[in-house]
Amino acid sequence: MNTTMPSDGSVPARDAVIPRRGPDWGRLAAYAILILITIAYLGPMLMLVLTAFKTLPEFTKDATALPTSISLDNFFEAWDKANFPRYLLNTVIYTIASTVVFVVSGTFLALAIARRFVRGAGPLFTLFLIALFLPAALIPQFQLILRLGLYNNPIGYIMLFVVNPIGIVILVNYIRTIPIELDEAAAIEGCGYLRYVISIVLPLASPAIATVAVLHAIGIWNELILATIYLTSADFYPITRGLIVFNGVYGNDWPLLAAAVLMMALPMVVFFVIAQRWIIGGVTAGAVKG
Amino acid sequence: MSYHFGGGRSRAAPYVYLAPALFLYILFSLGPSLATAVFSLTDATGLPGLPINWVGLENYHEFLFLGAASQENWATIFRTFLFSFLVSAIQFTLGLFVAVILSQKLRGTKFFRTIIFLPVILGVTIQGLMWTLFLYPLGGPMASLFGLFGIQPEFLGGASMEPFMWVAIVQIWANLGITMVIFLAGLATIPTEVYEAARIDGAGRWQVFREVTWPLLTPAVNTNLVLTIIGSLQAWQLFLVLTGYRPTTTVLGYLVYATGFGATGGSTVVSLRQGYAAAASIVLFVIVLLIGMTAQYLLRRREARLLG
Repeated sequence: MNTTMPSDGSVPARDAVIPRRGPDWGRLAAYAILILITIAYLGPMLMLVLTAFKTLPEFTKDATALPTSISLDNFFEAWDKANFPRYLLNTVIYTIASTVVFVVSGTFLALAIARRFVRGAGPLFTLFLIALFLPAALIPQFQLILRLGLYNNPIGYIMLFVVNPIGIVILVNYIRTIPIELDEAAAIEGCGYLRYVISIVLPLASPAIATVAVLHAIGIWNELILATIYLTSADFYPITRGLIVFNGVYGNDWPLLAAAVLMMALPMVVFFVIAQRWIIGGVTAGAVKG
Repeated sequence: MSYHFGGGRSRAAPYVYLAPALFLYILFSLGPSLATAVFSLTDATGLPGLPINWVGLENYHEFLFLGAASQENWATIFRTFLFSFLVSAIQFTLGLFVAVILSQKLRGTKFFRTIIFLPVILGVTIQGLMWTLFLYPLGGPMASLFGLFGIQPEFLGGASMEPFMWVAIVQIWANLGITMVIFLAGLATIPTEVYEAARIDGAGRWQVFREVTWPLLTPAVNTNLVLTIIGSLQAWQLFLVLTGYRPTTTVLGYLVYATGFGATGGSTVVSLRQGYAAAASIVLFVIVLLIGMTAQYLLRRREARLLG
């Protein structure tokens, strides 16, 4: 039973002396904290939803009042004005294209490192481990993309996301846990390398691959800075950049802006509910490396 | 390796299939990352085709020691430290507290885990716009709340330190979920028998936490400390969404971006001093490296002492 684990650090000594008598103060304190957390986390979301259903005069009169009628007008208006379908399509293309390139190429790399199929696998792995500490690639990357003629170009934008060192580290660590006997059996059977990867490695490593793909995709979906730097034509904007531009134009019309934000947040919320396990698995797997 | 796949030729296969990922990594990530040091010694601008000249350490000299601008830069470096300290201290403590509560058999823990983690998925754009609305100064929810106590904060529009604090709060709010799930994963590895044994020995809650949970949680503690410290030193994107570029509010990461790409970003302009911005980003890199390495070293030593 771990129901009486520490939960309230503020009254340590007393609690230790009187283990169980009267109301369970620790538990009450825990619930009090959770209520505060709920307000902090649901408050901004609730405000967003309420505002999205209001008219501008209503909002100006009293920002926190409930909307007087439920109307979807803001959503239709924002959908048209925010160029939402275009941005959404762009984001989907960028996310899928980069994730596919990264996951396919990254799996081969991670496998070769994890199984030491190549000379220098150790130092090679270090190249990816140190990435967390390296200086931002921002400026030389910009100069490179400019010189390759890929500035303000969807292909160039996609190329910025085809690598993910943390993803490689997660994959390597996972593949190392797959028993090596299967490799040997496949080798004895005379199985070619590509067939071995597709028929043995892919199925066994699929949980890690799914996790890495999901994390990588979320990163691209939410990317704002690189979209601001590299994409200047509105036709190429992903939804993040589109939202910021929309904010710049309609920043005073909060009901309209809130509807736009809400629509753009919705796909991620749905995705999170579906893929929660892989997302959280990925965050903790990436963290284990230390 | 005592086995290989297919015929003799396929010894080369792993090298061939590994090549694209390695090539892309070096070209688009590792190479540019290291080249930042080289660019920091030049007068590169944001325009293509313009000659780039060596200027030696001039950018560093200017950034750190030249006139009023360098004093502002030092203030920005100080704010970066302050931001990182506030964010990592609070995010770590609160994350631990919440994880310990939510690892217990209370009703609705899954709901809480979900809402706390959700902002992580939404990204800076939505996080920032959501809080801009929540902090709406003309009768918004927070303004009304403070109004009850007769306080009228200016929130994000205030003088330099007030928006700074609000950005720190949103930063913690946005990333608490990551800290929490790492602690939860750590807590899940502690066997319940250990707690039972401690309770049988008559240990109270606080004692159980200090003597059992805290030492056994060492790997998660180390990971979270390093991640929050490094992450918060490098963080700046919420400043962009919440306050825009304001020299008296900003941190080093945003300064790099604003000098390299303009305060609003996304243009190829000759006046953009990318060499100078590269020097600033090397300064940030050195700070992250020194603090990160020191933290790693101290935490490893502590881990060795605690867990043998």
